[in-house]
Amino acid sequence: MVLLENDSFLTELTRLFQKCRTSGSVVITLKKYDGRTKPVPRKGHSDSFEPADNKCLIRASDGKKKISTVVSTKEVIKFQMAYSNLLRAHMDGLKKKDKKSKSKKTKATQ
Amino acid sequence: MPYFQTWEEFARAAEKLYLTDPMKVRVVLKYRHCDGNLCMKVTDNAVCLQYKTDQAQDVKKIEKLHGKLMRLMVSKETHSGAMETD
Repeated sequence: MVLLENDSFLTELTRLFQKCRTSGSVVITLKKYDGRTKPVPRKGHSDSFEPADNKCLIRASDGKKKISTVVSTKEVIKFQMAYSNLLRAHMDGLKKKDKKSKSKKTKATQ
Repeated sequence: MPYFQTWEEFARAAEKLYLTDPMKVRVVLKYRHCDGNLCMKVTDNAVCLQYKTDQAQDVKKIEKLHGKLMRLMVSKETHSGAMETD
């Protein structure tokens, strides 16, 4: 599992989507993360670790290659914007509504 | 496997489940371009909520819910929707 910086993660995620256009699936997992780098201590030992409250872990995989990144409060705004654009740009293989097809212009201005 | 029929119910149940125990809940998104479908799952390993779609109009909803849950995870607030005033 490769842990990347937010920007590298987004680049690699783009590559995963491009690779899986003809076959395969892209799986993305999102979970709250408290910053642990050591395993949970066995009972008897006190947990001297102070859990952070402002991070989340994002993982992505195409079945073979795995990537991940940690996003914290400071980065979430920027990351979420880029991430949303990425999802919307790549998840375009789905069916569009046929009746009354009013072509809605996607938001181009930020 | 319990797939929700309406997006509304799924979104509400997902947020509610997350708020009961943020550390336990994970969100999984699976996209298959070759089959043209998208599936979202929210689970705390006891309860499992799923929604799947092949409609382009649902992509935006799923992406928005994803973003909302992401922001909830990084915020220190215990209430959803509250902005950090710090």
